[in-house]
Amino acid sequence: MAELLQFTVTGLALGMVYALIALGFVVVWKSSGVANLALGQLVLISAWFTYGMLTQANLPVWIGIPLVVAFALFLGWVIERVILRPLIAQPILSLITVTLGLGYFIQGLVGIIWPLSLAPLPKLFPQTPVHIGTAVVSQEYLWAAVISLILFGLLSLYFRYNRMGIAMRAAADDQEAVQACGIPVTKIFSRSWMFACVLAAVGGILISSIGNITVGLTQTGLQVFSVMILGGLDSLPGAIIAGPIIGLSETIGAGYLTPLTWPGIREVIPFIIIIIVMFIRPYGLFGEERIERI
Amino acid sequence: MDLPTGTRNYTYAEDMAIFRTKTHWILLGVLFVLLFAMPAYWGDWLSVANRIGITIIAVMGLNILTGYCGQLSIGHAGFIAVGAYTSAVLTQRFDMPFLGAVICAGISAGVVGILFGVPSLRVKGFYLAISTIAAQFIILWVIQHWTAVTGGFSGMDVKAASIGPIVFRSQVSQYYLILVITIIAVYFAKNLSRTKVGRAFIAVRDNDLAAEVMGINLFRYKLIAFFIGCFFAGIAGSLLAHTSLSISTDYFPLTDSILFIGMIIIGGMGTILGPILGVVFIRLIDMLVTELSPALQSTFPNLPPGFTSGIAPLLFGLAIILFIIFEPRGLAHRWQLFKASYRLWPFSY
Repeated sequence: MAELLQFTVTGLALGMVYALIALGFVVVWKSSGVANLALGQLVLISAWFTYGMLTQANLPVWIGIPLVVAFALFLGWVIERVILRPLIAQPILSLITVTLGLGYFIQGLVGIIWPLSLAPLPKLFPQTPVHIGTAVVSQEYLWAAVISLILFGLLSLYFRYNRMGIAMRAAADDQEAVQACGIPVTKIFSRSWMFACVLAAVGGILISSIGNITVGLTQTGLQVFSVMILGGLDSLPGAIIAGPIIGLSETIGAGYLTPLTWPGIREVIPFIIIIIVMFIRPYGLFGEERIERI
Repeated sequence: MDLPTGTRNYTYAEDMAIFRTKTHWILLGVLFVLLFAMPAYWGDWLSVANRIGITIIAVMGLNILTGYCGQLSIGHAGFIAVGAYTSAVLTQRFDMPFLGAVICAGISAGVVGILFGVPSLRVKGFYLAISTIAAQFIILWVIQHWTAVTGGFSGMDVKAASIGPIVFRSQVSQYYLILVITIIAVYFAKNLSRTKVGRAFIAVRDNDLAAEVMGINLFRYKLIAFFIGCFFAGIAGSLLAHTSLSISTDYFPLTDSILFIGMIIIGGMGTILGPILGVVFIRLIDMLVTELSPALQSTFPNLPPGFTSGIAPLLFGLAIILFIIFEPRGLAHRWQLFKASYRLWPFSY
């Protein structure tokens, strides 16, 4: 029973972080229709950048983390301005493959600057484990969940009340109408990419403070796709609800299925979920089924 | 535009022929002579040529699936793995002759492809890309852990390819084997693109709803595309297994799947020439990097230590991005432009 409780808590917390990274994807997808397959690499490069700031440059956390966020904002701006801006209104195939190329590029860059296969982040959170009922959970999971929740709150407030946030929702609804209203759509695209990079950076820091920084972070980015697919690509609440579901099924599934099947099932569960969702309900729990016309 | 001026069609057969003029036939003959004589003058490059040939077969399949039928697949390396392991298991454990194993490898990869292609009926674009990535991970996971059959993480040894009494053990003989199969594959792909099926693929790619309204059975043609695309992958996998003599899952990483997509982008999607150019281009960059980077590293000692391992993905990524932005139709289109301009030269107006 203690086992189950432990799986539940860690799964929920992990799922929150997944949902956070997934939100970055959904924001870009909704506003500009670009499928960002370089998500894992964005997580990877910002985790390494954090390592560079905190361990290599030995900066204190309160300078280092804002620098990472600033770097992520800059990265998002550059990606949109240099790569995606020239491709506005190109076929979806080009938009997907260009992000694949971007991912490749970032991976090479990371390989050149940080040629390590594994590195720990300095401990950002207190280390004493917490007892919840009968389960013992390390505090990092709880912090990850809390930080994710706070960011969800901030984001939904932003989309609800901020002028730019409202404009972003409008652009997601109808790009031409927004343009006709005189709102600069390119600015919205740029903003959404900055969001995506910051969310990926925070997710990267949280995940790598739980585990380590490894090349596996790119695969984490791919596992996050299962969150979007399950929740529906164009739904923010969908991502927030599907995240914990994926996290739970990962930890509980790994806990109880490993003896029955083969080890390593934990990494594959999200992909199996993707295939199942594709067969049963391809537009996800909350996604909108687009009706196409010729 | 494709033909020199003054080429006329007197019969339908003439109109449909791939090679129209005497010059075409002569050039084809020269190409064949050059290809078949390559061991004599470029013997050192045979290993590269073999890799290029196998990759061309695989990428030709991906081109049918993605370039002609518009179904993006980012799990092609997984399907190659299915072919490689099928062929290896059949020859090692069941003593099947090589030729039979190649065909079975193609068919099994095709069937697995159909299985993961079924979602393509309801979803497309990004959804399909994700489900094929999922396919890649699931396939590799099964191979890695189904130790009794596949040897698990340590992989398995494979017999050299053999047809009757001939065993393809030396690099030269492997080169001829791969060359012949590659030529057959290219010929098949070229002709497929001109048949009813090929035209149906193009219609599905351009607008699948419109295609369906015109009476094209989407279910059937999308699955045919998956089958043929993955069949090619399976053949390539089988050749890879039987020429490298041992396989493990490290041979089939996700990065390769992405690189294959990059190859058809750089070469030019939906053309037969494109994948060939793309594969040669990427593999030559690969060669250049592995040859040059240790030298660069020793001449400039202050280069970061990860330079050698990181520079190749960096360049590939950059090439993919630059091609999509500046020349989305790829090298094949450049080649067309070049042909048109030399035909009109010097009176291009």
